[in-house]
Amino acid sequence: MISLLLPSWPKTLAICLAFFFCLVAKPARAAEPPGVAIGSKSFTESVILGEILSQLARQTGAVVSHRAELGGTRILWEALKKGDIDAYVDYTGTIRDELLAGELPASSPVANNKTNDFQQLRAGLQKHQIHLSMPLGFNNTYALGMRETLAAKLNIKTISDLQKQPGLALGLSDEFVERKDGWRQLASHYRLPQKNMRTMNHTLAYQGLVNDSIQITDLYTTDAEIPFYQLRVLEDDLAFFPSYQAVLLIRADLFQRAPLAAEALLRLEGKLTSTAIAALSARVKLEKISETVVAAQWLRQNLEPNLLVPDDDQSARQRRLLQRLGQATVEHLFLVVVSLLAAILVAVPLGIYAARHDRMGQIVLAMVGIVQTLPSLALLVFMIPFFGLGPTSAIVALFCYSLLPIVRNTYSGLRQIPPTTCESAEVIGLSAWDKLRLVEFPLALPLVLSGIKTAAVINVGTATIGALVGAGGYGSVILTGIRLLDIPLILQGAIPAALMALLAQYLFGWIEKLLVSPGLRLNR
Amino acid sequence: MFKLDKISKSFDGTQVLKPCSLEFKTGETSVLIGPSGCGKSTLLRLLAGLIQPDLGTVFFENQPLSPASLIFQRRRMGYVIQEGGLFPHLTALGNITLLASRLGMTPIDVAKRVEYLASLTRLPMELLNRYPGQLSGGQRQRVGIMRALMLDPPVLLLDEPMGALDPLVRYDLQEDLRAIIRSLKKTAILVTHDMGEASFFGDRLLLLNVGEIVQEGHLDDFITKPSSPYVTRFINAQRMPHLIARTAGEACQ
Repeated sequence: MISLLLPSWPKTLAICLAFFFCLVAKPARAAEPPGVAIGSKSFTESVILGEILSQLARQTGAVVSHRAELGGTRILWEALKKGDIDAYVDYTGTIRDELLAGELPASSPVANNKTNDFQQLRAGLQKHQIHLSMPLGFNNTYALGMRETLAAKLNIKTISDLQKQPGLALGLSDEFVERKDGWRQLASHYRLPQKNMRTMNHTLAYQGLVNDSIQITDLYTTDAEIPFYQLRVLEDDLAFFPSYQAVLLIRADLFQRAPLAAEALLRLEGKLTSTAIAALSARVKLEKISETVVAAQWLRQNLEPNLLVPDDDQSARQRRLLQRLGQATVEHLFLVVVSLLAAILVAVPLGIYAARHDRMGQIVLAMVGIVQTLPSLALLVFMIPFFGLGPTSAIVALFCYSLLPIVRNTYSGLRQIPPTTCESAEVIGLSAWDKLRLVEFPLALPLVLSGIKTAAVINVGTATIGALVGAGGYGSVILTGIRLLDIPLILQGAIPAALMALLAQYLFGWIEKLLVSPGLRLNR
Repeated sequence: MFKLDKISKSFDGTQVLKPCSLEFKTGETSVLIGPSGCGKSTLLRLLAGLIQPDLGTVFFENQPLSPASLIFQRRRMGYVIQEGGLFPHLTALGNITLLASRLGMTPIDVAKRVEYLASLTRLPMELLNRYPGQLSGGQRQRVGIMRALMLDPPVLLLDEPMGALDPLVRYDLQEDLRAIIRSLKKTAILVTHDMGEASFFGDRLLLLNVGEIVQEGHLDDFITKPSSPYVTRFINAQRMPHLIARTAGEACQ
């Protein structure tokens, strides 16, 4: 009956979605200022390289933005193809096995015929209008590592030696476990017997090694932690890992749009040795100097003697942090509020629809349930071709995650109304719309509101994923904190996020008092 | 007022109302009586348009009940169920005036009407600002009657309205309700399974069993001229000594 009064739900959904994308569309992109956007992954080496590239391009007068600490290779790749970023540093092995997987003529990952390989990559990337630079000069390959003392005690020098030690526990980074050239292939290549394997954050894995909760982890060979924690890098004696030469990926159109900047980026070719990049990482991670300063100092010594190195005194740092926190709060609130409002607009009508139509209702509930099970990173990667880097992708993802609690509670709220009450409303001569508006919805309201509250609180927590696509928020503070293993910084992101969740809880309690009839709070 | 033309109704393949034609005259109080599941509530719900007959037509004021005009037809019927069927999120006053204020009745007229109905149902005015959860069962029922009467409908449909009340409260309410129906000259159709209540209200009783009207008329006819042994059994099952005695006396003669 209600479907006569409301537009059918797909139409409602389309209208609401359209409305909400208008709401989040960024005016900045419409203006399209001539500029260069550099991307980086969320590990320190990549952020430093991003800073070096940004400063090089800036020297040519270009307006440069550095979209730092994005959430993974696929996110950067999608953003590069879409044009949200113009350049970033990746590694040849990753390009072949991840970005161009299935697009290149078959070659065993063991084969290291470098020149031939490089030409293939260049041709493969050209099809996507991406230019591949010459290698920057260092090879950051994957490796397995363990504490020197333990390795010496067990006499382990090569990966093959691990065959004799099935009891050792591994803590591997998510990406290494997922990759085509990752753990599974490595284990079968070397016939490794270890079964005790967990996935964990790369930075935290080092902590795991130190306190012996794991004994082996995957490493990047340029990690600053290797000397710091006195780790032994196990020799890849059966030549499993492909070469991971650092290279620049640049959108081909940058050479027309900002030729000076594009050429400037290429000045980095062949300039960085493994020792040099490891030293730069160490200065950031261990001496706690900012990436900007480290990058500028390196450029001044090697490429740009006239470059001004910014101050890195503590008080300026503190100010920046406070500023960043304020900005993170605004960004975080923006993500949560916009996604929640859009979700309410869509989910409440969907819940009403589901409560009215038995079979279609079950399908609607199942669908929003499935959305809930999608991993956030997968959802974000899927969003980027449509919405690009920035808040829109994050908001759409958060919107999807907010649907289930609201739809389900609206549905249950309407379904729990006694049939006699519904009949009374009908029989006194209320129209279907008035019946819904004046009787059924007010009766369902306590449950609807608690669904919205659940969505809001979950949203505040989940909005930290915004950092993965450069949407900012507390997640970016937390991500930097984790990357630098800087616990105070992690807390500076985590505590405000927790406070915001509490605040949301309190706010909705208050809204509930305001909106729900006192008659429904009586114990009958 | 109501005319039923060869209507029948089934739920899930079971016939709950066998084909029948019936009329309810203006100004008359009719009582539908019978055991649980006999179809008496189904019949009342058909009259209110809450369910549609499988076959046949229900006429109200000479017009067939139809989806298009149902809303307007219902506004000319007052409907009261057990516990009054009140909306828990509205105050008693909110329940009573919900529709009237939507239909453009002025606040002054609404206030006058509420005051009149409160005195008619003997409900203290100060209870009107309470929520249903704060009222007793009898008070809720009086509010339910006020709500049904608010638009001054010519018909009252009453589905076991005293079902959940204790005997003393029920006694008072029965008295008041009958007085209201008579003084306002309403057409009333009451569903009950209680013979005492039925005979107290009804000019005309309709006894139903498994979807069929087995006897129709005055209580005296049921006792003196039962149409089937079922009628006698139903009356005796009410355990009203004076009725049993008379039935037994008849049988002896």
